[in-house]
Formats: sequence, structure tokens, C-alpha cells
Amino acid sequence: MPDAEATSGRAARLPSERGEPAEITVDGRPVGCFAGETVATAMLAAGVPAFSHRNGEPRIPLCNMGTCFECGVTVDGVPLTRSCLTTVRDGMRVETSER
Amino acid sequence: MSERYDSIVVGGGLLGAALAWMLAREGARVALLERDQLNQHASGQNAGSLHFQLEYRMVEHGWESARTAAEAMPLHLEAAREWAALGDELGESLGVAQQGGFMLAETAEQVEVLRRKTALEQEWGLDVRLLDGEEARRLAPYLSDSVLAAAFCPLEGKADTRIAGPALARGALRLGAEVRTRTEVVDLVPAGSGWAVHAVERSDAGERMLRLEADTVMLAAGVWTTRLGQLLDVSLPTIPLALMMSVSAPTAPFVPHLVQHAGTKLSLKQTGNGTVLIGGGWPARLPLAADGTPELDRRPTLLQSSLVGNAAAAIGVVPRTASLPIVRSWVGTTTVTPDQLPLVGQVPGRPGVFVATGGSAFTLGPSFARSLIALADGRPPGIDLHPYDPARFERLSHARR
Amino acid sequence: MTAAHDLVVVGAGPAGAAAALAAADAGLDVLVVDEQRAAGGQIFRTTPPEFGGRRKLPTGYPWAGELLDRARSHPGIAWRHGATVFGILPVAVDAAAGADASAGPGSAGFDVLTSDPADPARSGRVRARRVLIASGAYDMPVAIPGWTLPGVMMAGAVQGFLKSQRLRVADRVVLAGSHPLLLIVADQLLAAGARIEEVAIARGLPSPVELLRALPAVPGHVRLLGELAGCVLRLLRAGVRISTGTVPTEVLGDGRVQGVRLARADRGWRQTGPARTVDADALVLGYGFHPSTELARQLGCGLDWDSAQGGWIVRHDAQLETTVAGVHVAGEPSGVAGAEQSRAEGELAGLTIAAALGRPVPERALAGARRRIRSASRFSGVVQRMFAPRREALLELATPATEICRCETVTRGTIDGFLDENPFAGTADAVKLACRSGMGPCQGRYCESAVAGLVAKARGTGVGQAGRFAAHIPVKPVPLQAYVALADDPPAL
Repeated sequence: MPDAEATSGRAARLPSERGEPAEITVDGRPVGCFAGETVATAMLAAGVPAFSHRNGEPRIPLCNMGTCFECGVTVDGVPLTRSCLTTVRDGMRVETSER
Repeated sequence: MSERYDSIVVGGGLLGAALAWMLAREGARVALLERDQLNQHASGQNAGSLHFQLEYRMVEHGWESARTAAEAMPLHLEAAREWAALGDELGESLGVAQQGGFMLAETAEQVEVLRRKTALEQEWGLDVRLLDGEEARRLAPYLSDSVLAAAFCPLEGKADTRIAGPALARGALRLGAEVRTRTEVVDLVPAGSGWAVHAVERSDAGERMLRLEADTVMLAAGVWTTRLGQLLDVSLPTIPLALMMSVSAPTAPFVPHLVQHAGTKLSLKQTGNGTVLIGGGWPARLPLAADGTPELDRRPTLLQSSLVGNAAAAIGVVPRTASLPIVRSWVGTTTVTPDQLPLVGQVPGRPGVFVATGGSAFTLGPSFARSLIALADGRPPGIDLHPYDPARFERLSHARR
Repeated sequence: MTAAHDLVVVGAGPAGAAAALAAADAGLDVLVVDEQRAAGGQIFRTTPPEFGGRRKLPTGYPWAGELLDRARSHPGIAWRHGATVFGILPVAVDAAAGADASAGPGSAGFDVLTSDPADPARSGRVRARRVLIASGAYDMPVAIPGWTLPGVMMAGAVQGFLKSQRLRVADRVVLAGSHPLLLIVADQLLAAGARIEEVAIARGLPSPVELLRALPAVPGHVRLLGELAGCVLRLLRAGVRISTGTVPTEVLGDGRVQGVRLARADRGWRQTGPARTVDADALVLGYGFHPSTELARQLGCGLDWDSAQGGWIVRHDAQLETTVAGVHVAGEPSGVAGAEQSRAEGELAGLTIAAALGRPVPERALAGARRRIRSASRFSGVVQRMFAPRREALLELATPATEICRCETVTRGTIDGFLDENPFAGTADAVKLACRSGMGPCQGRYCESAVAGLVAKARGTGVGQAGRFAAHIPVKPVPLQAYVALADDPPAL
């Protein structure tokens, strides 16, 4: 059971049972996570500063329920995939979107 | 008491806005009346293609109809010049980009269509040349290997349908024209040497009847033209054609050209803000009234066959579009006439009333506007408008009576 | 020809689950489509199965566990999770054999278009004789300067991460809003180890008159109120500052939230005093909810503007049928009223649809569902009145440089400027077409009310008169290839 990752200013996993460890890549960098997590959770916990850009401005999830599309990333080649609705899969390739 | 104008323009699409601006520029006192908001219908909802090659719909019905369609080429050439200069004249951008357009062939028959079509267009003076697949992909690396040949016309491109109409209306406003939205014309009657226009002005407070007078009335009402003709007891037949368009989320620029197809309905282009517009004339279903006539004031319904067909056509020649996120598919209702030629000219038997609509009225809108104003002033219109004379249908309907 | 489901329900929250269960109990063949991985909607989100552990549901709704369990195991209900309904089309009457051509659109049923974001190839269509829109609600957006900075999140988002992912989104948090959910989220964040820097409530304390009016509505909802009282108590005990009559005026930060400016507001929520800065890593906004009405709009259903019920809500009759025959609505899209009422509406919708399709439905069951709606609406009515957002005042938090449309980065200045220069424009859709506000991937969900508010202010009309954005297929973006997938016969489900 992982401990709360209390790093200043950033999202942290709470002490809780989680799934098996997994790994995805975000813009080519490995990001550790756990089965059952959403891509958004994995990216927030890893401190990814921007999921997407709008007119150059960084954005991270706003609604976490699939309506705002600010968490849209490219998952295994499919752009504008909502990371808040997508469950991680070991080896998944995620790219943040530049615009 | 009624208000008096030199000219009243009915309809707030691109053509109406262009008319109001051009009239105001000549010093006329102008009122533009629009029943809805400006630019809400065909003018704001079409793809904004500036296409001058013959379209698929013109070549799909055989060679005779292609020859007839080619007779409108002078109008297209005039429009190409018009659009190139319009933004500068207005002093506002209309989002015009003329970086060339392709018409693609994926089969041997389509290559043959392109070959004959290109030769015909060249006869009429259009700058267009035939490329093989390799040459086309060198100019347009986004094209799939299935493209065997392409006709390329460097004049083609796009205008921004979102901004062109309103920009012209603002231009008219700056020159003193009046622009009245939510104002529907309900009657047109002769008054003195001109016309009285009766209209209902709607607001949250309710409705108010207006009576406006003018020397000339310009009908720029698209699919509603026929209804206005009925007010004048004149047959101005139009056929509403509900067509589907789709637009993607913005993506990095990769398609600078207009892309059309010789064997299927397709138009594809990328706008200045990165969205990709996909259309080409795929039909939607117009709601029908109990008597079987189309109801123009209700929204048409998308057809699944069109969603499938348009997507497949786009992905076939530009494979990268497969993963593009589509944000909206919508329906615009364009206007054609029974003989596929536009209606441009004086309304028969109603001196002082002029009309233009039908067929590529966005691409040709500025040319239509200039021609109507010339006619109204008693000047030669610059292009031969005889094939588009609205009287041709009036004669038919009289013959039937 | 593929067999049609009797009923396709869009949304698996309290309304959708209750409707599916009632309809299936009455003998209908039901399919429920939902974007989440499990039934329950936003309110009953739980951790994924991979996490193991026991399901935890909010204590205020004792019926939730049984409802979800019964619905999930019902043989008459098929589930399609992780799928987005991106449009619904009436089946063309001439295309459906034996259909009555005079019966109008929808009489031959509907094609429900779905896409699977994780696997676009699995997109397709499902035929339904009737459809129920039970698509819930989303947090009401409030455009304030800096609200696009990473670290500004909606209350529902923060709660969703806590409940279903066991993730705390930030260490030091300011919460601002007016809806009771804000206090629940503050309490949950506190329990999760966050430091609550301040809770800024826009309204003042309830007046004695308001409390008196609220009393008759309480019976039956004691648990809910008790839960809320417990939240406040725990927050106060932990020394959390809860400021009433306070609004956020700006979010500060470079690349992420670093602070929030808060100011005193009058009873109408308008800023009265100078702003002060509170350091924080996150700002959580909770001013209420907007119903998700996009499918109803796309289908051409009538809608009405009702600010207290969440804005644009789907017009319906006593049977919860919309103005488009065969299309029904339940839960928040019929007016935001909470889980209790959503469940009761779902039940009624499920029963009336079953009756309309010829299944025997006891009058007693219908009467029971109607009684539960009435009872729930007494409470929700009070909540709506007490916590109704002051939209005009919230709109004034946006400065000319504030982004109204987050997707297309359209500022208030741009929209106000357009309205100034184009006196002939007077609807939200006219602004959308000209300024692009509402044309991005969220399709206007997060800017529509502000755009309409600016139009209403400029033209001296009401927000309702400024109109709403039209909704088109796809109501949520899908890859172009999802269209091609519609070509095949609907996949067997």
C-alpha cells in the first residue's frame, strides 16, 4: 500500500489499497501508476504541469467528469482523449497536446 | 408615417451584407432587414470554399450538364478577382486565402473526367492544370497514395464564413446604413415610383409593424426568396438543399489547399485557426410539412449515410483525418433553382425590385451584389446576366396557365 | 435489421439506474450507456475494482446500494460502460418497415450513436424504441480572472478524484462557491490531509425567514442535513476559516495557482471591499450545477430557462416525456434537484415508458413514484431557492481580460467589443458564430451562460432571451473514424 506522497503543491495519492503497479509514458517519460487509476490521476500524481495547451496556456483537468476536455491528451495515437475517463494500461503512450 | 430609403435589402447573409455595404459606399441611404440574426443561415453555415473548378455535382450527371455548368465560368472568374480585392476595399479581413485547390481522382474513370473537365475549363480561361499522383503529393504530402491524378487551380481557396458577412455589415453600418435584425418582411407593395416594405420587428417586448419606403428593393433571401416572390405574385422558384458540414478541433496546419474530389462529394480544407472543415454536398433531411413541402424554419436532420459517406471520402484521400476529433457536424440549407443556374436580375414585371440567389451564392455573392447594383443604376452589369434572368421561370409559369 | 432495445437510457446515475430498473421490472429490454466504468453517476462514484476494498456510498442516501445492486444484476438490463452517446437520430419513417408515416419523427424509433473513447473502432449505433436522457449535470462554470490556471478545479472534480481515485489534488486549498457541496468537499479534503486555507461562501447566513420557510421541507432529508451540519462542525473544529459574503476576485500564479484574491460581497454577491490574498495551490469552485442537456438540444427538444433549476432545462410533461415524442428525460436535465428527486423521476419515467410500450404497470406504482417526486421536490425547491446563484453578480467577476471561453481563449473584452460594434447581434449563437466562443471541444458548456449573460447585459434583456447555443452531433467530440463505424450494422450487445 503506497503512502501519501505529500510533495508540496502537487496532487498526492492517499493511503489506500490500489491495483497492481503499472507504467505508462507521458511525452516519452515513464510515469509509474497503479491499475485502476485514470490517466488523469497518474499524470496529476506525477506532477505533469500541463495536460494540454490552449493558445499556449497550460491546462490540467477542470471537471474530471468528461465534459470540459481540458484533460484531453493523445493516447496511443488518438488525440483529444479524455484522460479523466481513460483507465491506465501498462505500456500506454500518452502525449500532452500542444497548441 | 413611414421611413424612406434609397434602397432596402432583404436578407442578412453574405449577399445582403455585401449589397448594403456596396450601396452605402455609393452614398445610398440603405436599410438591411433580417428576420433572424445576421449570417445565421447558409452564409454562415457553408464551408466558405472559393472553388472555381466545376464541382462533382456538375460532372456527375454527364458531359452535357458539365458543359452547361461551364457557361457560368465568367461569373466564377469575376468572383475570384472580387474576393481577392474585397478585404482591402472593406478595410477588414474576410479570412480570404487563395492558396490553390485540388480536384482528385482515385480511379481511371475519374482521371478521364479530370482530363476532359480541365480541358473545358482551360477553354473558358481558368488557370487549371492536370497533375499525376506523384506531382500532386509533392505539392500536398498529406494526400494518400490512392490519388492517381489531380487538377490544380491556384486561384482556389477559402473565405471565413464566420466573419465575412458580419464584416461587410459592419462596413455598411460605418457608412450610415441601418441594419435591423429580427425584422421580417411580410408585404411588398408599390408606393409612388418605388416600393413600400411592410415588416414585423420582433423584440422581447413584443412585435411592432414597420412601413418602410424605398426606390429599390434587393431580395437577398436565399431559400426564403420564393416566399418573397409570392408577396409580389411572381414565381421565383428555389429548391432548398440541406447539406452537412463537419469541423474538427484545431490541429497543427497540414492542409493549405482546398481539396475536392472528381468521383465523390468531398470538400476539405483547414481554416486559419487550425480547424479542418469537411463537407462537399452530403445531404441532410429537411423536415416536411403535412402537405409535403419543406419546412424552412425547422432544423434539418443529419443522415447517417451522409456521416459515413463524407467521413469515408475524407479519410480515403487524406488519411490523417481518421483520428481528427470532430467537434460539430451541422446542416446548412443552400438554395438551388430548378435549372441549376442562379437567379440574378430584376424581378419580372416589378421594376425596382431585384433578386439574386441560387447555386454557389457564397462564392459568387460579391459578384452578384455588384451586378445587381449596376442593373439598378441602369449600368451594364459587367457580365452577361441573360442566362440567369429571373423572368425565365415567370415565362414558364405563364405558359402553364 | 438489428433488434431494437425497448429503451436506451443515457446515464447510469440515480435517475438512469432507477429508470432502467423500473422499466426492466415491467418487462422492457433496456440498455444503459454511461461514460464511467460503473453505475452510480457522479454522486455514487466509487473506487475501481482493481483497488479492491469495500464500496463506500454517501450516507445520506440509504437506498443507493440496493438500487445499484438490483439494477446491475437485473437480467433485463444490458450495460455499456465507458461509452459516449455522441448523438441520437430519429429513424427515418420511410426506412422502417411497417412504421406509421403519419406518426412523425421518432415513431420508428431512434438510432443512438455511441463511441468508445478508449477504442474508436468499437463505435457504432444501437436502435431504441424509446430513449431516456438521464445525463446528469456538471459544475456551474464561473469565469473569474485567472480561472484557466492549472489548479483551479470544480468541486465535483475534486470530489471525484477523492472518492473514486483516492487522490488529493492539492495541499493548500481555497474553496469558493455557494452550493452546499462546497462544504462537503472541504470536509473531505480536510479528512484527506489537505490544508483548507479558507472557504469563501458567496451568500450570507440564512435569515430566520429563510430558515422558517425551509423547515417544512426537511422531513425525510434529516440525514442529508445532518451530514452537512457534521461537515461544518468538523471544519470549524479544525480551525478552518469559513467566510460568508465573500467572493473570489482573481486567481494568482505563474503557470499554476499560487494564491487567490478574496473580497467581501454584499447580499447580491457584488464585491464591496478591497480584495486580500490567500496563498494556496488550488481553488475549488462550487456555485451549483448546470444540467447536461446537449442530447435533448441536438434532438430538437424544447428547453426553458430557469436559473434556480440550473439554467436551461428540458421541457417535459407529467410523464417526463419531452416535446419530441419518444424522448424522455429524468434527473438533473429536467431541473437540477439532487439524487433523491432524480431517482424518483427515473422510476416514474421507467414506468411510464413501460406503460407506453404496452406493459402492464400498476397505477399504485405510478402513484408511488409521483408521491416520491413531490416529496423530494419540496426539499429540492428550498435548496434551489436558498442557493440560487446570482448570475449577474458572478458575471461581473470577469474583467475584460478574463477568458470566458476557455477552449478558444475568447475574453470578455472580445465579446463585449463585438456586441458594441455589432448592435444588430443579439443572441448567444450570433456571438458564438462571430467570436468562436463555444466552438471548441467543450462545445460551449463552460461559456454559454456567461456569453448569454453578456448579451443580456448589453441588450437589456434576460439571459433566457439571449438564447442558448445550438447543439450538434457529435455532442462530445469523436474521431472522424467513429462516423465510418456507423456504416456497419449495429454491433450485437
